[in-house]
Amino acid sequence: MLKTILICLFIFSAGCGTKKERKEERALTIYQENAASWVRNFNPLSTSGTARWPTSSGIYEPLFIYNSMRGEYIPWLCTDYKWEDNNKTLIMYVRENVLWSDKTPFSSEDIAFTFNLKKIHKGLDTRDSWGYLESVKALNKTTVEFKFSRIYVPGFDAIVGQPIVAKHIWEKIKDPLRFSNPNPVGTGPFTEILRFDNQVWELGKNPNYWQPNKPEVKKLKFPAFPSNEQVTLALISGDLDWAGAFIPAIDRVYTKKNPEHHKYWFPETGHTTFFYTNTMNKVLKDSKIRKAISYAIDRSLVVKVGMYNYTEPAHVTGISGKMAKWHSKDIETKENWVKYNPQLSNQIFDDAGYYKNKNGFREDKNGDLLSFDIIVVSGWSDWIRSAQVISQNLKKVGIKAKVKTYDFGAWMSRMQKGEFDMAIGWAEKGTTPFPLYRGMMSSKYIKPIGKDADANWHRFSTDEVDSLLLEFEKTSDEYVIKDILHKLQNIFINYAPAIPLFAEVSWAECNTTYFTNFPSKNNPYAPLSPNSAPENLMVLVNVEVR
Amino acid sequence: MNKNSILKRWGRGIIKNKKASFGLYFVSSLIGLSIFGPLFTLDPTAFLGAPLSPPSLEHFFGTNGQGQDVLSQTIAGARQTLLVAFTTGFFVVIIGAFIGGAAGYYGGKVDDFLSLIINVFLVMPGLPLMVILASWLPPGPLTLAGVLILTGWAWNARVIRSQMMSLKGRDFVLAAIISGESNSRIIFVEIMPRILSLLASSFIGASVYAIGAQVGLEFLGLGDVSTVSWGTNLYWASNDLALLTGSWWTFVPTGLSIALISFSLTLINFGIDEVTNPRLISEKNWKKELPDNTLNNGVTPVVRKNV
Amino acid sequence: MSNSLQYLIRRLGFYSIAAWAALTLNFFIPRLMPGDPAAIIFARFRGKLTPEAMIALRETFGLTDGPLLLQYFSYIKSMFKGDLGVSIAYFPEPVANIISTGLLWTIFLAGTSLVISFIIGTLLGAIISWKRGGRLDSFLPPSLAFIGAFPYFWLAMLSLYIFGFKLEWFPLRHAYSDDVTVGLNIPFIFSSIYHAILPATTMILVSLGGWMLSMRNTMLTTLGSDYITLARAKGLSSWVVMLKYAARNAILPNFTGFGMALGFVLSGALLTEIIFSYPGQGYLLLQAVRSQDFPLMQGLFMTITLAVLAANWFVDIAILFLDPRTRK
Repeated sequence: MLKTILICLFIFSAGCGTKKERKEERALTIYQENAASWVRNFNPLSTSGTARWPTSSGIYEPLFIYNSMRGEYIPWLCTDYKWEDNNKTLIMYVRENVLWSDKTPFSSEDIAFTFNLKKIHKGLDTRDSWGYLESVKALNKTTVEFKFSRIYVPGFDAIVGQPIVAKHIWEKIKDPLRFSNPNPVGTGPFTEILRFDNQVWELGKNPNYWQPNKPEVKKLKFPAFPSNEQVTLALISGDLDWAGAFIPAIDRVYTKKNPEHHKYWFPETGHTTFFYTNTMNKVLKDSKIRKAISYAIDRSLVVKVGMYNYTEPAHVTGISGKMAKWHSKDIETKENWVKYNPQLSNQIFDDAGYYKNKNGFREDKNGDLLSFDIIVVSGWSDWIRSAQVISQNLKKVGIKAKVKTYDFGAWMSRMQKGEFDMAIGWAEKGTTPFPLYRGMMSSKYIKPIGKDADANWHRFSTDEVDSLLLEFEKTSDEYVIKDILHKLQNIFINYAPAIPLFAEVSWAECNTTYFTNFPSKNNPYAPLSPNSAPENLMVLVNVEVR
Repeated sequence: MNKNSILKRWGRGIIKNKKASFGLYFVSSLIGLSIFGPLFTLDPTAFLGAPLSPPSLEHFFGTNGQGQDVLSQTIAGARQTLLVAFTTGFFVVIIGAFIGGAAGYYGGKVDDFLSLIINVFLVMPGLPLMVILASWLPPGPLTLAGVLILTGWAWNARVIRSQMMSLKGRDFVLAAIISGESNSRIIFVEIMPRILSLLASSFIGASVYAIGAQVGLEFLGLGDVSTVSWGTNLYWASNDLALLTGSWWTFVPTGLSIALISFSLTLINFGIDEVTNPRLISEKNWKKELPDNTLNNGVTPVVRKNV
Repeated sequence: MSNSLQYLIRRLGFYSIAAWAALTLNFFIPRLMPGDPAAIIFARFRGKLTPEAMIALRETFGLTDGPLLLQYFSYIKSMFKGDLGVSIAYFPEPVANIISTGLLWTIFLAGTSLVISFIIGTLLGAIISWKRGGRLDSFLPPSLAFIGAFPYFWLAMLSLYIFGFKLEWFPLRHAYSDDVTVGLNIPFIFSSIYHAILPATTMILVSLGGWMLSMRNTMLTTLGSDYITLARAKGLSSWVVMLKYAARNAILPNFTGFGMALGFVLSGALLTEIIFSYPGQGYLLLQAVRSQDFPLMQGLFMTITLAVLAANWFVDIAILFLDPRTRK
């Protein structure tokens, strides 16, 4: 009996003793995504989602980092660039005195090698760089020349964001697509794998990092969290220092527990979450009807119920906040069909000949009921809730809309094939609104219903847009760029190809008990969220130990 | 022995039995509430109040994370959950009775073959199969019922089979066979009434299993989360971090309802068992004769009554 | 003794059939569902594989062109080789590697919970049947039944919240503390036990009632037997009669139940693992399902099924040793 008691005490003390770490040894404990079990794969070029962070902006680094807060490119592995030859050639100047974590010097050859690797193995070229590149050559140890096959200035973003791998290691790999890179050699601030188990792994500081005295943090820890509740529990109990999680009622749940150190920041990204309507549908192909639907949506209720008031209703152009600088001067004079106006909505439907039947639902001239499905990804509860609010809003103006959830793969397939009526989804993003409007209205992406389209799932286009987009690709003149974007906005407002819903927000929490100098509203050197690649690399480099 | 009088005796016995009558009372009131309740409650899907507000005069069970009335949600949720559960229970018993009954009655090669199928389904891990099937099929109550029936019928089949086998060897069946009664008449007229109690308790047991499994699957998000049912209510409660925000009211009423109805159904089963199991019946009778109401050492006591 | 061997071989034969049935089910499920399985699976792989690798992967899953029968045989062949294919979500990690990370933990947690629950439950069942009508008999079955009536995850979440979060008596997640090194050392072993206490206790509590009731029922039947009366007549003490004679025989029918429960528990541990973030098979399965990682899903289903069948077979062997009647 005594033995049993002693053993039990032993267990308890062993368990308890390991709970609190000593301050000096504390690793920066991070949550970025749900995981049941970690799998050892540090390939930054592979695309299936295993190129997870911090592989691609932590162990490996890009050429420039676009700082969305300040709207400028920060030199990283490259220090400068130059367009030549009427925007058909791009010259990159490589930073000197950068070492790989195995002390081999970094040079332009690594950059050229990485891009040429993507040419040989098309599966690695997820940004489709070779769709517009003709050749990539290292002119000397510090200069790389990118020759374009056609003028495509927006290609700059994809090029500078490319994580660069080491030539002396990867030239020996036969199948880089399936290479899991278990012991990575990178240029980033953290490169040493200290420990890898299925429930936790640790990443240690790069002893040869090119920024002097950085990073201050010595190691990162990534425990496996399978659910949001677990993440929240960990945040509340102080086991997590940095996280990017959606947490409902965050003030009550998290901040109140430790107002001094429990911080969060949900800044708007400037982009928008959209409500898509399939413009090939016989009812939805009319832009007036799309605007009527938009008028019927009570966005403040959607934001309150679906998003816990963490965000705000969208702007009619689909860009706001940081991106609002791209608004044309006369934007306020345009029709604002994202303002809640159910009477106007009812009127538009009536004028179009869709009258309410005796049950209160609208029918067309043939007596067919106006009935749609709104599809959302199952598990994305904030969007499901938002869709439910919209469904109720639409019911009020006589439109039957049923919410249907699908697993991500099935949902994505339906969107790409255009096999949907209505849906909530994200839109293309970029450093300018160009990718957004291109994804919204370019005919290049349109595929017939049943075939996979990469963007423009709602299948809308007009001729004016295509020519504007082409012009945009050719120029690097700021004035011309602005002018084209203003024109694109006006076309967007005119035709309403998709319906902006609410501003997109990035989720981020931090705990300043052991670490400081996280980005915040008062110190916005980058977004706080570990999900914002590649800016999260800046956070990794700049977080300090208290 | 007239079949009607057996049923009448059991019926009276069950109503008099304390456990079963409490169970019956509770279950029927809950069923009644689920059928008629939604007529009197607020719209469970309407976003009425401030999210996560505690119970008040306006909202007896408070509101959930979307500002929906929890009381209305609990009552409305009962409908779908109970409907799926009883449907599942019904089909499980029907399938089990057919397959298990045929195996037990016909014996021989039929039994070998059917038993093999029953055993294979029994040994298949149920929950993973449920999860996989539920994820492949479109979400909804139909999928849930189908998946539950597929993974649950084998247990009952086996129980009914062994009961059928033991009954078949009894005198009255042999007599019926000799007197030339057709197989179907024997099964339905002679044997069925005698296993009615088994069928009833199987139905109840299967329904309890269906409630639990269904709620589990929906909690994982594999049901149709746009519908209102007990399982999806708990799914949303956990998504809205019910416990961590201290909003116990979004979580406890549904859990309690599930527990109470499962427990009540189990009580009915206890009651049926006590009423129909001959050993327990006789035990009740002579237990009353004992000086004090305990039995010790597992020995069947002998009592001398004052003559 | 050859009778027993025959019996075991017959059981092995049955399990082989069951395994084959599971394999076949695994093969057919994607094909019976709406949509083209090849398209769904390989849409996710699109662009990540060389054409040769693509062909090799199709062979592994039997999704080659050609008649269904050929596809089926190619699939069975890969299964026998132990080639479970490559995961989609964790590409390019082979499914077998991913599964191996969780298998032992599920067996550890679910296995020990089941064993403890069985032992305590049957013991309680024996005791209350002995003192029938007593206080224990009228109190335990209804209360344990009431506890068992709650949805398991509901109780698990509540206990995690109260004992882990509010009272801080137990850890909140994982199978072992992040500070210990994995391996055969004392801190790791103790940490694993400490982390398993809360999840195991919830699993034990919920299943206790079932074991107790079924043991009670079989005890009641056994207690009417003649040899019990004889044992009493011989003057043996109550405890000896109850344990050595009655319980030992009454437990045998429950043993088959134990074997089947092994199956349910190995798979039922799914909810436990999710609530307690325990890195086992169950949570892997859910995540595979959510990310539509079909190779991983199918691989997990196969390993769980095979583990269940193996467990059942071991129980058959055990019964053979314990119950002379089966050796007839």
